[in-house]
Amino acid sequence: MKINVLGLGNIILGDEGFGVEAVKYLESNFSFSPQVNIIDGGTQGIYLLDYIESTDCLMIFDAIIPTDYEFKVYVYRNEELPAFIHRKLSSHQVGLSELLSVAKLHGKVPTEIALIGVPPKSMKMNIGLSDEVKKLVPEAVELGINIINEWMQEL
Amino acid sequence: MAKRIVVDPIPRIEGHLRIEAVLDGNNTIKDAYSSGTMWRGLELILKGRDPRDAWAFTQRICGVCTTVHALASIRCVEDAIGAEIPPNARIIRNLMNATQQTQDHLIHFYHLHALDWVDVVSALSADPKATSELAQAVSPSWPKSSVGYFKDLKTRLTTFVESGQLGIFSNAYWGHKGYLLPPEANLMAVAHYLEALDFQKEIVKIHAIFGGKNPHPNYLVGGMACSIDPNSDMAINIEQLNKVKQIIDDTNRFIDQVYIPDLIAIAGFYKGWLQGGGLGNYLAYGDFPESDVDDFSSLLWPRGAILNKDLSTIHDVDPRDMNQVKEEVTHSWYSYAGGDDSGLHPWEGETTPKPDAVPKMPYKHLDTDGKYSWLKTPRWNNHPMEVGPLARVLVAYAKKVPMIVDTVNYVLKTLDVGPEALFSTLGRTAARGIECKQTAGFMTHYYDKLVANIKAGDTKVFNDEKWNPDRWPSDCKGFGYTEAPRGALGHWIHIKDGKIEDYQIVVPSTWNASPRDSNGKSGAYEAALKGTPMADPEQPLEVLRTIHSFDPCLACASHILDMNGNEITTVKIS
Repeated sequence: MKINVLGLGNIILGDEGFGVEAVKYLESNFSFSPQVNIIDGGTQGIYLLDYIESTDCLMIFDAIIPTDYEFKVYVYRNEELPAFIHRKLSSHQVGLSELLSVAKLHGKVPTEIALIGVPPKSMKMNIGLSDEVKKLVPEAVELGINIINEWMQEL
Repeated sequence: MAKRIVVDPIPRIEGHLRIEAVLDGNNTIKDAYSSGTMWRGLELILKGRDPRDAWAFTQRICGVCTTVHALASIRCVEDAIGAEIPPNARIIRNLMNATQQTQDHLIHFYHLHALDWVDVVSALSADPKATSELAQAVSPSWPKSSVGYFKDLKTRLTTFVESGQLGIFSNAYWGHKGYLLPPEANLMAVAHYLEALDFQKEIVKIHAIFGGKNPHPNYLVGGMACSIDPNSDMAINIEQLNKVKQIIDDTNRFIDQVYIPDLIAIAGFYKGWLQGGGLGNYLAYGDFPESDVDDFSSLLWPRGAILNKDLSTIHDVDPRDMNQVKEEVTHSWYSYAGGDDSGLHPWEGETTPKPDAVPKMPYKHLDTDGKYSWLKTPRWNNHPMEVGPLARVLVAYAKKVPMIVDTVNYVLKTLDVGPEALFSTLGRTAARGIECKQTAGFMTHYYDKLVANIKAGDTKVFNDEKWNPDRWPSDCKGFGYTEAPRGALGHWIHIKDGKIEDYQIVVPSTWNASPRDSNGKSGAYEAALKGTPMADPEQPLEVLRTIHSFDPCLACASHILDMNGNEITTVKIS
């Protein structure tokens, strides 16, 4: 069984880079068995297809703006997902929803998907997260680890 | 009064690009304005940073062009500090660059541009048997061409389209009368669309091997960060090199047997669609140095400029010359201390945004007489220039680079058109395919060179002589270039006391998508759209074809305005 943990976003646009910073934190503070791959996906759009199609379980960290916008960590799993993945990944305007639709056409959709997101405070051109978002990284990562552990036990 | 159509955003491109086109009474575009509506201020956040880290930030400018910015950035820093790199580092960089270019062109053709020519919905009415016959005629050696294969694909595609979630196939003008392919050609193209999508994932695995990881492979000022040891598990070894070779061979096969035949087959139906040529001025910095990056005679992609479609004269290009490459801001939302109409060379460049000049949302039109874009206006010797595959192919063709001459002549002959057909939207699209074949060939070339060096005992990839900032001049300037998939890319740096004092980047899409200059001359997109007849202004397929043919790295919306300049429709493409 393979688990891909994908951090999305742009690290030069402040909190837009939340996903990438979260997987960096995950990678430097925890160790995993070889079946878990941690990927800094940036804003690579269609180039990320392989990481989505080649895995059984997919976890995504990303800066998101949910409709009820409350400043906290959000976790969405499987069927809860579609409503919140309209955001374009910027690379040729291919977003996560498009990538999943291609995976579907290929018949290669992961069995488990989880999205862990935080609403951005600042998306100005700047390297590094805002203090507010930075504080939420450990919590977001911990929620991710719980899900990874759950996947590893179940599957 | 003229109609004005506004395309904002144009689908399937990166970033935020808006096109406003003025139509005459026959729905032909008589004037066009191109606007980058997103502020990019990377130059400012690099100030004061360690120059050796610049590549890691510049590669995040864009989701598509990571490796090319990394390459231009390390070349630029090395140029400034006087660092020399070992031959293997140069070979590996060239191999990675060729890999990126090849993969990017393949993705562009099938996944971003093909849908301007291929009608996915029409493919649903194709006869699988006739499609199989067509595929075998077009690509005789390609195995995936059975009746069963196309029958199965048609079933899957039908289920997909009927589910209503078109996903990647949404935001298109299916059924537009500008689509000329028969259903079978459409089905074949969709099959190759999916095959290419599957296949491109393999190509870039080369980056993971030489760059340590992918996406965002590692680069290093002074060489490369990978280590080579044919017999070690911890370095690039025989097993990995064999894998690289396998990928390169498969890539060449896919391009020769699928991409080029598809390109010719599809172009054959659109031979009459010869608008979109535009400026007729082309600029290439060149790339793929066989020796030092400053030895321009060694570039496999030659450097040069062409003016007014005159292939008999190649002009010398020197991006270090303070008078050649200059950026103006007459029509850009910036100001210059010495006046907005003056052009500044990137080494004396200024990035002072003027956000007050940006119209407040929502607005109907841009103030095209005044400032109307976040893109600056780069000019070469005061000429607006087109950059990209067509510019490179034309410079190489004019300089009589043998393989390019052969491939260009083969494509022209097969399509039964003359060289003048190159100066068009279709010419741009064909040039990308011709170039892709060339860069795939480069991959083999560099692989062979690398393996020969390793066999001879040379595994050195890094030169630490200039790693320590103590060994740098206290004040120095550098220029780094590459030919990115989208065209000539330049990075200019000024380093002071080991830190970045100034950094300026002129990206290919800024050349192509620039607004007018101080002399009122249009940029490449603006010029290319002029004279284009539109079948239906509410479905601006023709605009998309020409803009997509440049492979823009920006994004756009279509508002359709009536004869009095009032908006009559908004083609919302999001």
